[in-house]
Amino acid sequence: MTNEPSTQSGQARLTLAAMIPASVFYAAFFAVPMVCLLVLSFWTTKSFVLIPGFSLANYVKVFTSPLYQALMLRTVGVALATTAIIVPTAFALAYCMRFVFERRGQLILQVVLLSLFSGYLVRIYAWRTILGKQGLLNSTLEWTGLINEPLEFLIYSNFAVVVTLSGLLLPLAVLPLYSAMLNVPRDHLEAARDLGAGRLHILRTVLVPMTLPGLRTAFAFSFLLAAGDFVTPSLVGGTQSMLIGNIVADQFRGIGSNWPLGAAMAFVVVAIMLAVYLSTTRLIRWVTRW
Amino acid sequence: MVRRTGLLPAVFVGIVVVYLYAPIAVIVLFSVTTSPRLSMPIEGLTLDWYANAFSNPLMSTALQNSLALALVSAIVSGAFGATLSFGIVALKGGRMRAALLSASLLPAIVPLLVIGISLAVFFRALGLPQGLFNSAVGHIIVSLPFVVLTMNARLETFDFSTLEAARDLGATPYQAFRDITFPMIRPSIIGAALLAAALSLDEFVVTWFNIGNQQTVPVLVWGLMRRGVDPSINAIATLLLVLLVGLVVASNLVNRKKSSA
Repeated sequence: MTNEPSTQSGQARLTLAAMIPASVFYAAFFAVPMVCLLVLSFWTTKSFVLIPGFSLANYVKVFTSPLYQALMLRTVGVALATTAIIVPTAFALAYCMRFVFERRGQLILQVVLLSLFSGYLVRIYAWRTILGKQGLLNSTLEWTGLINEPLEFLIYSNFAVVVTLSGLLLPLAVLPLYSAMLNVPRDHLEAARDLGAGRLHILRTVLVPMTLPGLRTAFAFSFLLAAGDFVTPSLVGGTQSMLIGNIVADQFRGIGSNWPLGAAMAFVVVAIMLAVYLSTTRLIRWVTRW
Repeated sequence: MVRRTGLLPAVFVGIVVVYLYAPIAVIVLFSVTTSPRLSMPIEGLTLDWYANAFSNPLMSTALQNSLALALVSAIVSGAFGATLSFGIVALKGGRMRAALLSASLLPAIVPLLVIGISLAVFFRALGLPQGLFNSAVGHIIVSLPFVVLTMNARLETFDFSTLEAARDLGATPYQAFRDITFPMIRPSIIGAALLAAALSLDEFVVTWFNIGNQQTVPVLVWGLMRRGVDPSINAIATLLLVLLVGLVVASNLVNRKKSSA
């Protein structure tokens, strides 16, 4: 092998070669399947047999069915409620880790992140155990005599879904917010304070603008992942709190499944979630700029 | 300074940690209590639920499948993710590098539900029946972004001048990689691979749409959960928890080793 005259190009070729296996994998098993899903969303079914073609029937059905509209609205509502709990909590936590606990902040981060690895299904199931009608919370309250009847709203409700999703996704929001907070110099806060700025003013003019990339990532994680979750509503949500994800999942693994309809729904959900996400981040930027 | 920290932030952090860990504590606690009802007060302690869990004939198959998938994910994600991030970091153009990095992180933002059904559609179009192979592909695509992210953090601080020195001394690019680069980044690769194993062990959504009638531990747990209250769920969950935490702690320790070296 003659490597002397072409060390540069040899290096470049190696770099390129190194990226090939993973790139092929991403293309074959991530990009191509997404295209397949998109193509399928224009197909139709007749008595469980797939009929190829180009039909907008599935999309029409998704947009005109009152049931799907209601579910879509509830999904956006639940995801926004979850985000409204997660992002401020994670923001305050990241602030405390950075400016109050300083060097111990890293340790708190490790503790928070470790909770992600206690099992996804397990954490959802645990909340059912806690919030259930004869669950830990109700039985403890009854045992201590604080209530006589179990609190019904705790389980199989939107409340249960939001509480569970918030606990599930909070660590994911802490990570980007903490790294964004690390980029805020302590001097900036002190300078603002010395100049007489109030807490709210500092929050709006220093902290939020300087952590905006982190806020955006935290928002994306909590909102998009909450909207796409179907396991939480099916374990703690019951029939009254089904989300659109449940319906999509049922189209693929339920009785009377309809893959093309499910595919169309999935794309509509993703599009709506992206639209809500983009308009909300615009709103945040607009509020903090004036 | 630390004295004046004040009570409020400490209380706040405490509440958040309790919120995150209460569910886990409940599961571990009720995996060893006698009352099958999961309610207060606690009557007595037992290991019966663990015995129960292992007497389920599906349990050993599920555990074997889960471990096999975790091993495959660790090896393939580790290798692909490491080579990909190595290529990305070595790129000259900053914009190209940022674009490729973002693209490789995409599967972490797309809802797992969408990844799961798109793979199911893809494999059906290929005529491949659902099963462990399809699930393994799903696990790899789900864990790759996290491997790339971990590797990227490490490689950003990688000293490429050692590589150039080796090249100046006459090493071929392949020799330089084998003898210099790989030994230096090996701890990070192992750390990232262990993370991939943990993600695979815990993966449910993508698996659910691609595994057909086969079992993994999360798929088994899901089946039991749907059926109602069964205390052996707590036992299986505790075992899974121990495995996952073990893998993640090991991953962190391996990763830390390199930064002190």
